[in-house]
Amino acid sequence: MHKWFSLIQLFVVCGLVMGCGSSPESDTSDGASATSTNAGITIALLPKLKGISYFTSCAEGAKQAADELDNVELIYNGPTTASADKQAQMIDKWRLQGVDVIAVAANDPAVVSESLRKAQDAGITVITWDADAQAADRSFFVNQATAAAIGGGMVDVMANDLGGLDAAGDVAIISATATAANQNEWMQHMKTKLQSYPNLKLVATKFPGEDQNAAFQDSQDLIKKFPNLKGIFGISSVSFPGAAEAVKQAEKTGEILVTGLSTPKDMQPYVKGGEVKTVVLWNTLDLGYLTVYAAAAIRSGTLKPGATEFTAGRLGKKQISGDQILLGDVLLFTKDNIDQFDF
Amino acid sequence: MKKFAYEFVLLGLIGVVLASAAILDPLFLSQNVQLELSSEIWELGLLTLGMTLIIITAGIDLSVGSAMGLCSVSLGLCMHANLPAWLCGLVCLLTGLAAGAINGTLVAFIKVHPLLVTLATYGMYRGFAEGLQSATTNAPVDASDGIKSIVTGGFPVIPVLFTALAVWTAILLRRTAAGRGLYAIGHNEEAARFSGIPVARLKFLIYTYTGLLAALAAICYSARRSATAEAGMVLELDVISAVVVGGTSIYGGRGRLIGTLLGVLLIHETRQFVDWYWQRSELTLIVIGTLLILAVLGHRFLFSRNPQTQ
Repeated sequence: MHKWFSLIQLFVVCGLVMGCGSSPESDTSDGASATSTNAGITIALLPKLKGISYFTSCAEGAKQAADELDNVELIYNGPTTASADKQAQMIDKWRLQGVDVIAVAANDPAVVSESLRKAQDAGITVITWDADAQAADRSFFVNQATAAAIGGGMVDVMANDLGGLDAAGDVAIISATATAANQNEWMQHMKTKLQSYPNLKLVATKFPGEDQNAAFQDSQDLIKKFPNLKGIFGISSVSFPGAAEAVKQAEKTGEILVTGLSTPKDMQPYVKGGEVKTVVLWNTLDLGYLTVYAAAAIRSGTLKPGATEFTAGRLGKKQISGDQILLGDVLLFTKDNIDQFDF
Repeated sequence: MKKFAYEFVLLGLIGVVLASAAILDPLFLSQNVQLELSSEIWELGLLTLGMTLIIITAGIDLSVGSAMGLCSVSLGLCMHANLPAWLCGLVCLLTGLAAGAINGTLVAFIKVHPLLVTLATYGMYRGFAEGLQSATTNAPVDASDGIKSIVTGGFPVIPVLFTALAVWTAILLRRTAAGRGLYAIGHNEEAARFSGIPVARLKFLIYTYTGLLAALAAICYSARRSATAEAGMVLELDVISAVVVGGTSIYGGRGRLIGTLLGVLLIHETRQFVDWYWQRSELTLIVIGTLLILAVLGHRFLFSRNPQTQ
């Protein structure tokens, strides 16, 4: 046992010396020492979840912006599942580290509310992007496109691909997390828009979470349950491929049409295969890019509440309506143009 | 001194983690950061109390995290129905008790291997939690007001409760016939049965106790965050790691609560610091998993003269 004792003593002595040597000074540092660089702005970018191509491409754009703005340091981290609790935990940690801006794509506005408020109280600039939080908990929301354009756009695309104004049959929505503010708002506009097509009947809405497998299973259930199903809306970037895969495996290609929001890269095989005619999305790279530009401008005081437009690097002038910074219009991808987009 | 050699190794390792933190980012060690991060240690700590007893009998409970999720949802449903806080807490505790008793019954009386039983309930409890949540509120429930004010109010209820339970568990383990019985079961279950130890009853009780602890952990979590089916997700990894890193032999018959507590501290500080410094949610799991494997190898090396670990 003797060799062990000496090893142990070494550990303890090391620990004590190093621990005592440097910890008492820790209170004097006022920023995150792991993250802050001189007078720069540290921006923490929080996606709904990591590891899906939608948010990975947003992060790509955010990195481009951070590289262009030489005083910006970007932290990109998020939970590995779409968990609002994990988001709250990360926001709390960033507050303790003293980052300058926290930009959140909220899974659940209620659950992250307290953490965001505490961050604001600590002097951190809080903005949201992609999915809004409660309005009081942030200064600006970087919105990809108006909810009317996204929700209405998907319904128009579906009706158009099913035969225009006479389009008829059952349709269903595969959403994402039931608490996500963006999906819920889009669905409102989808329901309004569906009234323009009296023969399209919305028969079901499912909430599989941000989970492609669960979306796949929900779609399979719907296909079995509604024999007259003509269309499925997959309104998150993982629900959409999940629904398309279900149609493909049920060998209903051509009978049931799928449309929705996802990245062109993820949807390309289904557009080629015929399960999907049109993919609706915005430029996700630009969304991340705009978020970082907005975050830096708000923090440095060049973008103030009440402004009506704002210049974001290569994107040029962007409109602001109230407390929402608008990225712009939705993009439509079909088999003719989907190969041209690399995200 | 020699008796506590392993515990000194653990202290040394905790020292190494803290020292690395001091070098890489001293802010991590500041009082208010440590204080705020410590809010996450209690759930882990509570669950390890039961897990230590179970692993000492050469058992395992993989379902602790899932049971915690189920308890959290039951709490949320009661809060959602506007029941008084004490009743919500009671329902939550009863849910945990039931979850533990199901494990206990299957392991102790029906004699199914604990790995199988708790793997099954690991899936079942989480499934029930998610199903219940999506069938009712479909969202986490804010457990503020009643429960939150009790837990996070002026008096540190959770730390005091945890300390009391830890002391009680340590005394049970070291100073009572039941505690000696648990070690005996871990060493040789057959021999324990023949020497008159109530093997089945003891086993049933420790799994049930662990279920109850899962309910308490669920209350802590829900008060801190929200009442949700995702409470305790992959927490079983941390719990089992803390116990095994703390020196309890996975083959049963050996382990001390003081080691477990140090294991909890080591796992907690490691997890927090990795999360804090590297900002990669996936890295933490890799680090904790690696620690667990190193601990098992370390046991082998340290205690290789003891045939029990061969």
